[in-house]
Amino acid sequence: MSPKEWNFEEIAPCRWRLSRSADGAMVADAEVFATRDILRQALADASIEQVVNVACLPGLVGSSLAMPDIHYGYGFCIGGVAAFPADGGLVLPGGVGYDINCGVRLLASSIPAGEFAPVAADVGLALLQRIPTGLTPRSNYRLGKKEFQRVIGGGVREIVRSFAAEAGDLEFIESGGCLPFDSPGVISPKAYERGSSQLGSLGSGNHFIEAQVVEEIYDPDSARLFGLEKDRVAFMIHTGSRGFGHQIATDYIETFRKRNLGRLKLRDPQLVHAATGSAEGKNYLQALNAASNFAWANRQLLQGDVIAILERILRQGRDKLGLRLVYDQAHNIAKFERHEVGGEAVDLLVHRKGATRAFPPGHPDVSERYRAVGQPVLIPGSMGSRSYVLRGRAAGTAAGTFFSSAHGAGRRLSRHQAVKLASQADVRERLQKSGILVFSLSVQGLKEEIPEAYKDVDDVVAATVASGISEKVARLRPLLVVKG
Amino acid sequence: MRNYEIFSTTADTGIRCKGRDFRELYGNALRGLNLLLFGANLRSTSGCDAVPFAFRGDGPENVLVNLLSEALSQVYGERRRLAAAVFRRAGRSAIDVRLLLAPCRRPPRVDIKSVTYHNLRVEERGGVKRAAIVFDV
Repeated sequence: MSPKEWNFEEIAPCRWRLSRSADGAMVADAEVFATRDILRQALADASIEQVVNVACLPGLVGSSLAMPDIHYGYGFCIGGVAAFPADGGLVLPGGVGYDINCGVRLLASSIPAGEFAPVAADVGLALLQRIPTGLTPRSNYRLGKKEFQRVIGGGVREIVRSFAAEAGDLEFIESGGCLPFDSPGVISPKAYERGSSQLGSLGSGNHFIEAQVVEEIYDPDSARLFGLEKDRVAFMIHTGSRGFGHQIATDYIETFRKRNLGRLKLRDPQLVHAATGSAEGKNYLQALNAASNFAWANRQLLQGDVIAILERILRQGRDKLGLRLVYDQAHNIAKFERHEVGGEAVDLLVHRKGATRAFPPGHPDVSERYRAVGQPVLIPGSMGSRSYVLRGRAAGTAAGTFFSSAHGAGRRLSRHQAVKLASQADVRERLQKSGILVFSLSVQGLKEEIPEAYKDVDDVVAATVASGISEKVARLRPLLVVKG
Repeated sequence: MRNYEIFSTTADTGIRCKGRDFRELYGNALRGLNLLLFGANLRSTSGCDAVPFAFRGDGPENVLVNLLSEALSQVYGERRRLAAAVFRRAGRSAIDVRLLLAPCRRPPRVDIKSVTYHNLRVEERGGVKRAAIVFDV
């Protein structure tokens, strides 16, 4: 069947359903949260076929879901969400992705944009000098095996303990920055080797640190709780578990393949899976938690670098600068969560690949400070475009997504297409004309990440809000970008 | 289609390769990866280390992923790039090969993190084996 023949029905604004009857192998419906234009793009780049492939997996609970930043990935589409029973369901490394717990952290401040502008270049340069970016082998934290094991076991808690990070941050990190891990033997020596030299590094690709100004507040009460004030500067960090997570994903896809591929009838071998209760499933879930802890620790250390640089350049302490963590959230992860399905509370393993958790007001896993308004949802735009802060919504459509949301703008052009387009103009100069300073060691990386390579984040956010899965709180405009 | 070429997906990138037999297919996959990483293949093997490797798998897809993963590991872990591959044995489920590896004098153009199995199938048409491999970048 040609992908363009998929017959989606708009069952609510920006909510499209493809009935399971569309394909004999589907065991569940597929649902895409998108504007008509985003859906058209998804049909064109074959990501809808990936949503359909997931809808063919046995035991899927609810629908195979795609968020408004849907685009073509491998196995799952990016923006994909799928839930399976916690007990007796499936776990798929391909439903998480290679960069386990790739995620975003936002730090608010009371620094007025006007006071930041004169020092922005100094801050950018200092960040680039301090933080290892791209392919560089340099690391600021070379840990012995035991120290490294403590980090992957304790996540941010270990960073608080060993690196004197702020204990108050823990409350504003998804899962408190630590998932249970107590089986060091489930991780290969190669993963240890890759991971131990990369803690505290940004990486390459679309990873970044940005200084942004809060440009627009849509929901003053929520913004106040989140610590966001108009015309004040905020700092966003986007990175993940680096080579450690990649190696774990590679290792377990191989393990799952060897043990299971023969008996699985998969349309895409990248969708190889195991039962959550099987030995290999349990081991992967443990390793996944270790990589998640690494990623949270990594972002915590990078936050420490950002704060130290700001304190040095602005000659004021963290408290005086009003620097406080708004939230840290994962967008490549699978976690056990309890959701209401068919009127009953059910324990599920929810996979989110390029999608974020967006728990509603009143949810016990939302930090107490934010519980009245719901979990912050961070949606970064492309380099040079705006980012948004949203919040989770109660019940209704949001419950049908297992309280999930978009994670970014979502790519529109391939890297090759982007480089071709970017070669016509100096990316750095063009962004500087728009008031955005860019620091990067990689010209190629900058070209791959030009704003035109991504969907318009405004469209993604519009679809997210119109479909009822999250509510807008604030919009931020970049002032300074440090790219991996 | 050439013996090997680069292609792009929306988020990632990959190589297509072909060969009359597995030896050619695997060799062209390595050349395609080199092209993607460095923009060209090395012409000389002088000063290279010859390192033997053996890969076993449950099929050519598995063998291809293992072979390319090792080549990536050499680039990013050992800072060595492939100059040539001398196959002693190259079949559906096994490779014995000596990789001739030269020091990386410049970093790769792209950061490839993993070799995926996404839609990976080694197919034979008209006596020619073909494969398309997507990388996580």
